[in-house]
Amino acid sequence: MAGNALDRLMEMRADPYAWARSWKERTGGKVMGFFCCLAPEEMIHAAGALPVRITGENRDISEAAAHLQSYCCSLARSGLDMALDGTLSFLDGTVFLHTCDTMQRLSDIWRLNAGFAVHADFILPVRFESDSAWKYMTAELESFKEKMAESLGPIDDAAIGESIKIYNRNRALLAEIYDMRRKDPSVLPYDQALWISTSSALMEKKEHNALLEEIVADLKAHAGSAADARVPLFGVGSVMDQWDFLKMVEESGATFVDDDFCNGYRYFDAVAPEDRPPVEAIARRLWDRSSCPCKHTPSRNRGTCLADRAREAGAKGAVFFQFKFCEPHAFDYPHVKKAFDEAGIPSLNLEIEQGAVSIEQLRTRVDALVETIKA
Amino acid sequence: MKQLITNYYIEAKTTEEKPICWITSGGPVEFLIAMGVIPVYPENHGAMCGASKIAVGLAEIAEGMGFSQDICSYARLDIGAATTGGGAIPGGLPKPDFLLCCNNICGTVVKWYEELSRIWDVPMFLFDTPFIHGSKPEHATEYVKQQCLELIEFLEEQTGKKWSEERFEEVALLSVEGVDLWKEVLTTAESRPSPFTCFDAFIHMAPIVTLRGTQEVVDYYKLLRDEMQDRVANGIGAVPDEKYRLIWDNIPIWYEMRNLGNLFAGNGACLVADTYTTAWAVDIRIEDPLTSMADAYTKVYLNISIDLMLEQLSALMERFSADGLVMHSNRSCKPYSLGQYDLARAVTERTGKPALIIEADMTDSRAYSEAQTRERVEAFIESLR
Repeated sequence: MAGNALDRLMEMRADPYAWARSWKERTGGKVMGFFCCLAPEEMIHAAGALPVRITGENRDISEAAAHLQSYCCSLARSGLDMALDGTLSFLDGTVFLHTCDTMQRLSDIWRLNAGFAVHADFILPVRFESDSAWKYMTAELESFKEKMAESLGPIDDAAIGESIKIYNRNRALLAEIYDMRRKDPSVLPYDQALWISTSSALMEKKEHNALLEEIVADLKAHAGSAADARVPLFGVGSVMDQWDFLKMVEESGATFVDDDFCNGYRYFDAVAPEDRPPVEAIARRLWDRSSCPCKHTPSRNRGTCLADRAREAGAKGAVFFQFKFCEPHAFDYPHVKKAFDEAGIPSLNLEIEQGAVSIEQLRTRVDALVETIKA
Repeated sequence: MKQLITNYYIEAKTTEEKPICWITSGGPVEFLIAMGVIPVYPENHGAMCGASKIAVGLAEIAEGMGFSQDICSYARLDIGAATTGGGAIPGGLPKPDFLLCCNNICGTVVKWYEELSRIWDVPMFLFDTPFIHGSKPEHATEYVKQQCLELIEFLEEQTGKKWSEERFEEVALLSVEGVDLWKEVLTTAESRPSPFTCFDAFIHMAPIVTLRGTQEVVDYYKLLRDEMQDRVANGIGAVPDEKYRLIWDNIPIWYEMRNLGNLFAGNGACLVADTYTTAWAVDIRIEDPLTSMADAYTKVYLNISIDLMLEQLSALMERFSADGLVMHSNRSCKPYSLGQYDLARAVTERTGKPALIIEADMTDSRAYSEAQTRERVEAFIESLR
């Protein structure tokens, strides 16, 4: 099994922002928060700042309830609550991306109430096809670069190019871990694999790479030995941060062999082409990456794409893990589920809110799915 | 008005030569009218289903298909109606030949229309209007303008007809005229007493939303404007003994319109204006229709940040001499509702006028408590004394 590097990363899970806080203390550098994995992190990194992903947490909402209705997703509510009660006070600023209606309004509410020095909106197109949308996206990325340079200090193309290389290496290493698990899930429990990917957005990438190199080497030394009798599953959703749930799934005799979570596969999917000018390269990666339900890509059917990926990974079942009140995912659920049905992959739909997850209730449903697959 | 809308639906249901396009309420309908396409508005139909209290039954059909009860109720009821031929129009809405979705009102419509595109197996054009948090960059205007040209190409392909610049200018002129008349109608409510309430405006807005750019709309609003101006001249108010003037925010609670209307009127309160019906008062400059349309369709009320909304809302309060603000926190509509808590406080701070927030849903009455709302409205009006 992987040794020290993995232990170090796993320790972070109890306090996901400890690393960023100590980095800031150590370096005096600026920390920029962001919610969505479509954030052009390389640009922030190239300015010498630390991009850190905010994905909310399991908590009872207090201050955010005065700003966001109860029919707003827990990701936005708990994230805002963390900003208002000082949990995120190590941030110098935040970047919001145009994804869903909730994030769009959260950006305003955040800017007006959270009190961070820097606030930037990166208004992605919603169409991720057509020349006009591509032109708009690259122009918007150029203007985002200017905004970041104003707030964080000069960003030159050579520095972005360097950051792109570091980020691409990170993506390749994460992809390698997922690849190894597809072949032999027993090399690493899924909750750890997903946390490794999640932690990548919480640390400086070069340092994360150094840990990943070690982890990958260790895993390689142990890969491909054991036959895994557990039921292989595929996970669909946005952010998956319910570690106790994932451990419970493994206790139920199943494991995830692949996923489409945006802190999992979608975080590291596709690389930025290093032979292109840096801004174009970042845009190209966002454009080519597997689709998010917030983006309109009519030529790619998300249902069949996901069902194909699940089949290729050898999954025998799928779990849809959705935040309650998340419209983009809820709208996609019926047709994506249908694609899984047609591929002969039974699935389970779990709607959760951070801070209100009952593992025992979910266990019954997961057990039922596992039994169905075994039978 | 009833005749106008009935004729429109009869034509849409019976036409053989004219193509049908389903379009979102904030969409650039002028392009369709200019190409001889009949626009059909699922949202307008949603409002009809809500008002006639058949929305829940239709929504349940979609819920049975796996759609969460937490998504937009217009979308749910429309999906329920589309897959069963149910709804407020006998036999259902006429089947679309293609879809035009403009996301200046929400991201929800993109997901909803993607589903319609699957249900009907027809192409969808997404008219993508970048959200405005502060100022609108030049590349956003250029992007939307380019999409006007792409839309024209799409329509030529779908209809097999050539685009006519001349015809488009005619339509744009009629649209401007209709919009100006609609603004004149809304302006009459500045008078005290107001000749109509926003509950009337919710009904009378249907033509400006659906048939903007036609002569019928111009004729209709001329009549309505004259009637309202007459009422003003004769001091006839919509609410007998108008004591308080209020502004409404968000989509109406369609199934509760009559009750709410009576409740406010019964307490001497007139809802003189709202942020919903004014949303269709877009400005088109006829010298450069494409650029000004790209601009106007991007700048609509739901596509701007909370600070920009605050400016408009405060201006509305002042212009209509309002004593307070009533906000419908609409479970179905996140871009309209998230941010209302901050807006309510900011409006009160800015204008010194109080705000009331009612929790409900525009068509799904399962999320609504009549007794609680009545109590809160009465207490609010009491506080205005």
